[in-house]
Amino acid sequence: MPDIILKVKEMSKTFSSKKVDVRAVNHVSFEVKRGETVGIVGESGCGKTTLGRCIVRAIEATSGEALYVGEDGKEYNLQSIDKKDMRSIRKEIQMIFQDPYSSLDPRMTVYDIITEPLRANFKLTKKELEDRVKAIAVKVGLNPSYLKRYPHAFSGGQRQRIGIARALVLYPRIIVCDEAVSALDVSVQAQVVNLLKDLQEELKLTYLFISHDLSVVEHISDKVGVMYLGKMVEYAPTGDLFRNPLHPYTEALLSAVPVADPTIVIERIPLEGEIPNPANPPSGCFFHTRCKYATDQCKTQDVEFIEKEPGHYVACHRADELKLKGIITE
Amino acid sequence: MENKVVSVEDLNIKIKLDEGILTPVRGISFAIRENETLGLVGESGCGKSLTSKAILGINDKKCLTSGKINFNVDGKVINLLDLKFGGKEIRSIRGKTVSMIFQEPMSSFSPLFTIGHQITEFVRLHLTKDKNKAKEIAIEAMRRVGIANPEKRYKQYPHEFSGGMLQRALIAMALVCNPKLLIADEPTTALDVTIQAQILELMKELQKEYKMAILYITHDLGTVAKICDRVAVMYLGKIVEIAPVVDLFKNPQHPYTIGLLGSVHKIGGGHDRLFSIEGTVPLAMNLENKCGFYDRCIYRDTKLCCQEEPALREVKEGHFVACYRDASTFEKQNK
Repeated sequence: MPDIILKVKEMSKTFSSKKVDVRAVNHVSFEVKRGETVGIVGESGCGKTTLGRCIVRAIEATSGEALYVGEDGKEYNLQSIDKKDMRSIRKEIQMIFQDPYSSLDPRMTVYDIITEPLRANFKLTKKELEDRVKAIAVKVGLNPSYLKRYPHAFSGGQRQRIGIARALVLYPRIIVCDEAVSALDVSVQAQVVNLLKDLQEELKLTYLFISHDLSVVEHISDKVGVMYLGKMVEYAPTGDLFRNPLHPYTEALLSAVPVADPTIVIERIPLEGEIPNPANPPSGCFFHTRCKYATDQCKTQDVEFIEKEPGHYVACHRADELKLKGIITE
Repeated sequence: MENKVVSVEDLNIKIKLDEGILTPVRGISFAIRENETLGLVGESGCGKSLTSKAILGINDKKCLTSGKINFNVDGKVINLLDLKFGGKEIRSIRGKTVSMIFQEPMSSFSPLFTIGHQITEFVRLHLTKDKNKAKEIAIEAMRRVGIANPEKRYKQYPHEFSGGMLQRALIAMALVCNPKLLIADEPTTALDVTIQAQILELMKELQKEYKMAILYITHDLGTVAKICDRVAVMYLGKIVEIAPVVDLFKNPQHPYTIGLLGSVHKIGGGHDRLFSIEGTVPLAMNLENKCGFYDRCIYRDTKLCCQEEPALREVKEGHFVACYRDASTFEKQNK
């Protein structure tokens, strides 16, 4: 299905205080097709969470736009939309949060947590509410007889299912998953990842999957965007990115992923130094201070985000000449 | 096995609650040699952190611990559990012979004191009372773990450090007295992959230099494959499998280990469904007399597995498993 559901254009978010301005998200652009999963990866502080929050408009972006094609086929600019339209659009874009322990109100029963979005958006009778919640609970693998309990009675994996049920109950079209499985044990992680994939197939959901865990992202995503210091440095179909990265940062990031196989040794490409202060980013290409391929051009000249290969975008001056190593080899 | 730094024998931990007696650790035995890294793997609640804290003697008083934790200190064998809780002897071992690094570097340091002050405090407790000498030792330790410009960093507060640097400072503090055993409780979980790789490499390097034993506790099998020599898999307070790292990953014997390994996605391994273990870990209270993994096991045998809990048996040199069934028959059943 080629139709595009979300188009993010030149989105920026600047957090200002009296002393400094921090560009958490810096002119990020990408497109998401319907039914696709797009992974956003990067180290902490790279702006991936802020990007997700700007898209659902939990916080206001400073500039740029996010165009969303609604259920009715009309295109809405999420950043300039009026209040009434936003209310109806919010139903279609939902979010799952990282920490299943702090994202559920401990004083509400699970039933109340899941019905709250319904009550805010529709006028449903008690019976209708109950039916809908029960159906969703079964779908995400929660026992409907537990709905009267409070969140503390559930394990981490179960709580994450509650969070997913809360996001799903409005039948959204896009779900932004912000580190949705990062806090879970591996075996529970596998359960939740499988659940997300099943639901996607069944309900034709589109996911924006924000995570720092590259193995999970590789598993679940169709496309992956790599962020560094607020900028997107590479965006490509998952296989291309892991097989044939075009940005030196992606190469280094991939080489650091621990592989659960003691017989495979991947030579790590060390990154020198630490992430620069985002309030005072380097000149030219932001990555040049840690890049072993950097030239004088990289230090002074800003770098553009361009399509090097079909569907494979990268922001690097030397993308044409560098031969970088991926971690999937045929 | 000679050169054992620590050997834990039949360790049991019980916690009395109003509802009954919780048994989070039930009869664990293992030993770690000099220069060896043992990985302790399991899901949250399997008792791995309690085990490590028992070795340090820092569990809550409510935890009733029995068994033996034998330490080899300068040729003498000392059972840690014989020592008085919080007494002088155990305090001289803790931090000096055995030390620990924790999961959250941000909450392991006090925000009110400089990093240097906190490391020096450690040195003055165990090595020297001389202030200037202690400062020298601390700065040297910081340099050793790759903190650039340690003289300046010495005077800084934890909030001026990044997560990776703070974890390095924590390692510096743990290693400043050259401990025989280092317990690392999920030391890299809170860190980014690039920093994680750096810290793991640093730990390996320092281990080579000082020949210490490392007990590496985690639920992340990726880092286990990278750093450990042997791995013990824990489930419901028991070690269900213990083996050299390659054997465990290439030829797992226990259904739980097989399940855990199956639920980890391998990059480039396609987009098939991940294997997931059904159900959740039961509460370690009033356990029935059967294999602890019975209810979640896909290979269970209604007769065989409902006897007593299986004990560890050796299937190959150094490879022990606690399961009645023969793993070589599992694949047939799968097909």
